[in-house]
Amino acid sequence: MNKPLYTEQQLLVNLALGDRAATEQIYRQHGATVTAWMVKNGGNETDAADIFQEAMVVLFGKSQNEDFRLTCKIGTYLFAVSKHLWYKKLQQQQKQPSQLPGNAGIDDGFDWAYEDDIKTHEEREGHYEQLNAALEQLGEPCSSLLKAYYHKDMSMQEIAAAFGYTNPDNAKTQKYKCLARLRKLFYGTSAKMGN
Amino acid sequence: MSTDSQIWSLAEAYVSGDMPVAEQAVLQNRLATDPLFAAEFNECLNMLRSLEGFGAYSRFQHMLQDVRSKQDTTPKRSIPLRDHYFRTAAIAAGIALLTSFSTFWVLTHSDKKGNASQYNVLSRKLANIERSQSQIIKDIRDKKDAPTPPAPARYTGTGFAITNDGYFITNYHVTDGSDSIYIQNHEGRYFKAYVVDFDTKSDLALLKVEKNSFRFSKTDVPYTFATAKSAIGSRVYTLGFPDDDIVYSEGYISGKNGFEGDSMQYRLEIPAAPGQSGGPVIDANGNLVAVIAANSPENEGTTYAVSSRAILQFIKKLNKDVGIRMPKTNKLGKLSREEQIEKLQNYTCTVKVYKK
Repeated sequence: MNKPLYTEQQLLVNLALGDRAATEQIYRQHGATVTAWMVKNGGNETDAADIFQEAMVVLFGKSQNEDFRLTCKIGTYLFAVSKHLWYKKLQQQQKQPSQLPGNAGIDDGFDWAYEDDIKTHEEREGHYEQLNAALEQLGEPCSSLLKAYYHKDMSMQEIAAAFGYTNPDNAKTQKYKCLARLRKLFYGTSAKMGN
Repeated sequence: MSTDSQIWSLAEAYVSGDMPVAEQAVLQNRLATDPLFAAEFNECLNMLRSLEGFGAYSRFQHMLQDVRSKQDTTPKRSIPLRDHYFRTAAIAAGIALLTSFSTFWVLTHSDKKGNASQYNVLSRKLANIERSQSQIIKDIRDKKDAPTPPAPARYTGTGFAITNDGYFITNYHVTDGSDSIYIQNHEGRYFKAYVVDFDTKSDLALLKVEKNSFRFSKTDVPYTFATAKSAIGSRVYTLGFPDDDIVYSEGYISGKNGFEGDSMQYRLEIPAAPGQSGGPVIDANGNLVAVIAANSPENEGTTYAVSSRAILQFIKKLNKDVGIRMPKTNKLGKLSREEQIEKLQNYTCTVKVYKK
């Protein structure tokens, strides 16, 4: 009860930084609405949790943009994106006609905006999947080292200790070597895929 | 391999923004002249940005997963019944307690803002405060020509002029339930005033000095009212009367919306004491952007203020008989802060309210 309550703007700023308290607050404030709607529209609670989680990721991805701003309330945005995601999922399962029902969007004029955000989100996911594949292909120790630095947010000092380098500078040199290899791999493969 | 390290450490410094200006210049120069290097460098930048984005993204997803799993566990059905009902009962009892306390509170303070712990209106109750010596001296001096209120005021606030001929604005909560209202200008002279109109929702009241020949000062009101909402971070200042003397304080707009997301208000980081309710909030260019309304006792220095747009709306909705011509020219813009305050003093006043 004593947790600080963020205002909408603070919530967005902190969400963009990946702050846990902000995320929890958004879950508390808006999770139930989406769940209730989902249950009414042919989903169960697990579906609802999946969809809401994905909507959160869409919002997070959007918030990473420098010129990010939200033209509506967080709750409205998440609800609308959740709806779109859910109809999309139903479509894929062919349980629904390919057109969105009339009540899909809260304000129909902005539907395309949500669709755009979801599309960007899917592209981003695809891009990261490719990146992840390249990371896996790198092999050890590069794969683990880069993941430790970028995913786990470890410092070079910690990495040097964990990977048995004598000092952070050595670890850094190794990291640069890994980056160079990753670059060749990633841009090499994506170029091939592009052709 | 040494060139590899070089380009990556350059790219890393560039992405993190740690690069000294001199090095940036060298780099920009090289990027402009060496297209091969530029292409390679850009690829490195993209790689690093992708990796960083990917890292933040996957950290966020992990965190989400974790938050979600913790959420899932809260409504588990395997909670023993007694515990389950104990929780419900405890919550119910808590709510009952809260309700009775808040009802009690609302009844005792018939105040419009319900949440007392976070919202303090800034009118000052004066029942037990002795008037200062200077006040008494002024009273004696003015006794001959000015009407003097019969007893010390019960509540005070601040007001500021809208027209030179006696229309001024303060908070509705300052005037609420008033018996009679006097203003005291910065020279210490009293004038009787009456409420022309008010709006409880935006907490604004328009008042007028009774005396027809009254003028705030020799010239028209020197500030204009901002029509658009000001940006967060804008520097603002306010003048008010927490005591008998005018007090200046400065701060900045910290939030677009006020208490509980009220879009008619701003949230400010500016110190404000009781008695400053109704004080004008002015920005660096001499535009009036808001009116102080309340502060937050939880966060010292956080103040809520009604935006100038709300004032303009309020005035627009007034009865047509009330002829108000809004000030059109801003004469403060080019003045120094000291000169601005010197001028503003004439257009602000203490609002003293007597209640039965």
